[in-house]
Amino acid sequence: MANNNSKNRKAILVTPEVCIGCRGCQTACKSWNQLPGISTKNNGTFQNPPDLASAAFNIIRYNEVPSQKNDVRWLFVSRRCMHCEDAGCMTICPAPGALYRTEEGAVAFDRDKCVACKLCVTACPFDVPRYDAEGKVTKCHLCFDRIGAGMEPACVKTCPTGALRFGDRDELIGAARKDGFTTIYGEEDLGGLGSIYAFKEEPKLYGMKENPAIPSSVIFWHTYLKPLSVIGLGGVVAAAAIHYLAVGPHKDEEEEV
Amino acid sequence: MAEMVRKSSADEILNHWILAVSCILLIITGFAFLFQMESVGSVFGGFNTMKTVHNWGGVIFSLSLLYSMRHYLKDAFEYDADDRQWFKVAGGYLSKNVKVPPMGKYNPGQKLYYLAILLAGIAISLSGFGIWLMKENATVMLLSHLVHNVAFIIFVIAVPVHIYLSTLANPGTFRIMVSGTLPLETAKKKYPKWMKAAGKM
Repeated sequence: MANNNSKNRKAILVTPEVCIGCRGCQTACKSWNQLPGISTKNNGTFQNPPDLASAAFNIIRYNEVPSQKNDVRWLFVSRRCMHCEDAGCMTICPAPGALYRTEEGAVAFDRDKCVACKLCVTACPFDVPRYDAEGKVTKCHLCFDRIGAGMEPACVKTCPTGALRFGDRDELIGAARKDGFTTIYGEEDLGGLGSIYAFKEEPKLYGMKENPAIPSSVIFWHTYLKPLSVIGLGGVVAAAAIHYLAVGPHKDEEEEV
Repeated sequence: MAEMVRKSSADEILNHWILAVSCILLIITGFAFLFQMESVGSVFGGFNTMKTVHNWGGVIFSLSLLYSMRHYLKDAFEYDADDRQWFKVAGGYLSKNVKVPPMGKYNPGQKLYYLAILLAGIAISLSGFGIWLMKENATVMLLSHLVHNVAFIIFVIAVPVHIYLSTLANPGTFRIMVSGTLPLETAKKKYPKWMKAAGKM
């Protein structure tokens, strides 16, 4: 599933340091994608809804990380689909076209083609895909309908601080480096993510997953079991044909001894 | 007309064909899911319908598999010295110059084939139900997905071997799964110990 035009690969660059936690991105996403509101309860944090949902393709995580120097420290991180180059969801999906790669390198979905098996949920290293009430996959699709028409994703368009930026992936990484961000989360992980994060501190501090990976059983299945099923079937059919020609069928007369 | 002996009952033959048809349907749709074969999907009118066919075909397959135990399970666990000798000469399949020991109703290859299909069948059924019905448990889903695919490989290797050995490789065998009977003279040659036990020779 390699993205063959990586030169054109687009990405969202998240810079949590400049995020003010306004949640404009959440609202803009709902507005553009016509997603309904979610009824939630106050569970002691401003993070709301508490996690991604079928009606919440992106959320801001409100990480409370007090330290000795700073006993009130709030770190805001936009969470959404990472649009992995090596996407576990696409690898495991049994339905052609249900999850697909756009020209810009995003992982988008087609509800009508989804067969509601939920295997993508188990194969995602970031626990992103959600199923709606009708049992169909939903998630951030990088506003493929907007970017295909030359616009920015809705969340980026509305972001007032530049914490979300959209553009050419290589250029975004270069710009972040120039601005002094030493760690670009997702630059190399899973073949390179389409949602990349610029940090000056440890990504772990912001609650980013360390060494994200597709489950090893899925990689084993994809690398060995899938080819083996074809080799196995072809092998025994060939062996039967060779046996028929070389040894030949059993004849009752020959059994007389 | 030559005297015939009955090897398979009507019940067994019906069970066999329900198992066979559901199994092949599951293998074809299984390959379609594995490699996202749109052409196969379109035969069923799309992947959503094909999933329904695959799931309910699996229910028919698992029930038929469990039912088949009443026909074969007892025999599949009984092996004697002739059976061991059968393996040493590879059942006579690799050379016609070996002496194949006298066999009972089933040869040990058939008995082991049954046990392999039974075990792989139980594994592929349980894991299939895991993927179908336990979607909220990621561990069950991943484990089931792995087991389902390992068992699938056992099936795509074992089933064609079974089809070859029961048709082209052993002319005259296929009719046992159609009429259930074969000529007494043939049965005496192929299953002497079974015929002796039945008092026919």
